[in-house]
Amino acid sequence: MNPQLRKLFRKGPPEPASIDAFLADTEFPLVDGSDVTFVYRGAADAVRLRCWISGLDTAQAFQSLAGTDLWAATIELPKGSRIEYKFEVISNGDHALVLDPLNDVLAHDPFGANSVCQGYGYERPTWTLVDPDSRNGVLEPARIESKVFGGSRDLQIYKPARFRENRRYPLLIVHDGADYLDYAALKVVLDNLIHALEIPPLIAALTQSPERLKEYGADDRHARFLGDELLPFMTERYPLIDEPRARGIMGASFGGVASLHAAWRNPGRFGRLLLQSGSFAFSDIGRHQRGPVFDPVAEFMNEFRENPGTPAERIYMSCGIYESLIYENRSLIPRLQQQGIDVRFEEARDAHNWENWRDRLRNGLSWLFPGPLWFVYE
Amino acid sequence: MTNRHPLRILLGPQSPTPTVGAATANLLPGPFAVISAGWQETEGDLDELSEAVGRPLEDLRLYRRTEDLTGRDAGLADAIRERQDRLIEQQRLYRLRLKQLGIAARHTLGAEGDAEILAAEQRHAIAQLRALDRHHLRRSEAAWQTFFERFAPETYAPLARHAEEITTIIERSAGVIVTGGNVAVLINRMRLFGVGPRLADRDLVAWSAGAMALARRIVLFHDRSPDGRREAEVFGAGCGLIPGYVCLPNAKHRLRAGDRMRIGLMSRRFAPDHCIALDNAAELHLDATGIRKKEAVRRLGGNGRLTRLEVA
Repeated sequence: MNPQLRKLFRKGPPEPASIDAFLADTEFPLVDGSDVTFVYRGAADAVRLRCWISGLDTAQAFQSLAGTDLWAATIELPKGSRIEYKFEVISNGDHALVLDPLNDVLAHDPFGANSVCQGYGYERPTWTLVDPDSRNGVLEPARIESKVFGGSRDLQIYKPARFRENRRYPLLIVHDGADYLDYAALKVVLDNLIHALEIPPLIAALTQSPERLKEYGADDRHARFLGDELLPFMTERYPLIDEPRARGIMGASFGGVASLHAAWRNPGRFGRLLLQSGSFAFSDIGRHQRGPVFDPVAEFMNEFRENPGTPAERIYMSCGIYESLIYENRSLIPRLQQQGIDVRFEEARDAHNWENWRDRLRNGLSWLFPGPLWFVYE
Repeated sequence: MTNRHPLRILLGPQSPTPTVGAATANLLPGPFAVISAGWQETEGDLDELSEAVGRPLEDLRLYRRTEDLTGRDAGLADAIRERQDRLIEQQRLYRLRLKQLGIAARHTLGAEGDAEILAAEQRHAIAQLRALDRHHLRRSEAAWQTFFERFAPETYAPLARHAEEITTIIERSAGVIVTGGNVAVLINRMRLFGVGPRLADRDLVAWSAGAMALARRIVLFHDRSPDGRREAEVFGAGCGLIPGYVCLPNAKHRLRAGDRMRIGLMSRRFAPDHCIALDNAAELHLDATGIRKKEAVRRLGGNGRLTRLEVA
């Protein structure tokens, strides 16, 4: 039992008032080195921890703590880990997925929110937080007419602070751009990294697909959209450095697939890729095991693994070790390196979520687009 | 003009507390020229500086002059690009070798065993680093000499016209301020117009990148970059107006002072020059006779500690 709970129960089941005081004075979940204990209070038939971590059971049962309405479950979480979770509360046959009522730390994503457990040693990087000293870049809306998709697409364009028409900037195309803004603090991160001179001032084109699982899943139309429509659109309207090393694409999950696929279909045009938890399903033999939505992805990845070419000169990849995609991501590294591509791969004690992707942005962006930090002495 | 030796005043970063006003208060009266090319696009934005020093300022506009010239003179622009490509490639190869020699030196310095045997190996490991630094500096100078063969500021007419204007401004100034900023941009512009020798008889006040540019060698360093620690790199020659010093601005932030081996290695690598840490409150006044004044200036010691700079 967790030491804090043991203390609470040292004289037997505590009175409700003692429990009230304990819950009010304690931070949850209870982190004791690598042991993390989740606590739930309330009437229920059963309570389960749901955390979608590859390697752990998807549902772990809480134990009822005798003589009280408290429930607890302990898992081992290595140092520096961060996981997202919910509680499944079962009462009278009803299953309710709820946020941890005792934990205010939440992570948001397009599907809602999860409670966040920050294991021993995890700290949110300061460069992901608003820094009042950083100068703010601006986001401006843009609309591109797409023949490929037959209609218009809305974009958001990030322009760095002190943007000047007579300068030339690198271009970063961001898949799921609005989600990166909302859930991975992308604008704050860009503002901070530019301010800290860790990346150069750059222009980012933030795209958002209305049908991402299809368009981002190695869809040739999307590759044409990026190469033949979006890139010329940006080049005509913004002062960009006209070199592949100054053009990057980034994305997470299926956005990672879309990035790699678009670069592969447009060889020599994009020199930098940032691929986070890419859904790089493949099969060495037989059929992949990931469901029909991955069929075109696996087809592409199998072809790519046969003939990778050089989709970019430099690729940064990251993946959480608590996600099943770690296998596919690790498998891709040697294949890319064999092509002479400069690859940097980072694993994190995290899972398939936006905060994992947020926390890796500094290393990825500053390596792909190194800023003038080394040369500037104010 | 008196026969006094011209002063060189070296300062650290001007934030959070600007010190340039106080540092210049007792210098000769009159307007000052300013070199703020390290600020690039914001070159010449002198309102705050002017208020701090309380005297008329005139920027030499080295950054803008270069932009104007290269915009009109394709031959010069191509030659600069060619020189820069060569310098960048040389720096890349230097860095490649430096990394390995740096690892070897640190391993050797950290080794245990017979003191006499170790001392000889450690001296040699540092000597290898020093030899590489000298080689790189020579190669860097060779690239500049190749460039100057066609585009010397004294003989290439478009440059010479600017150089003359610059000289006029410097000569009518009581002193020259060199600001911080991007040290590569700064020194490249200063060298393009041959500014360094024209500063020799002036009082000079320089902070951060400006101080680095006045030294004989410019040493780049940052122990807290996202990439992790890198060996400090010789970037190239500076103006050579403060012989005997390597300037390390904002060392409090950029240098891991607790890493004694690293500090000691830097000190021994760049000896006999003194590696001096120039932080926000630091102020060092030098003339041909030595140190005239010093405030909060620390020196990197061979023992790996940062200690107060003593009067020479």
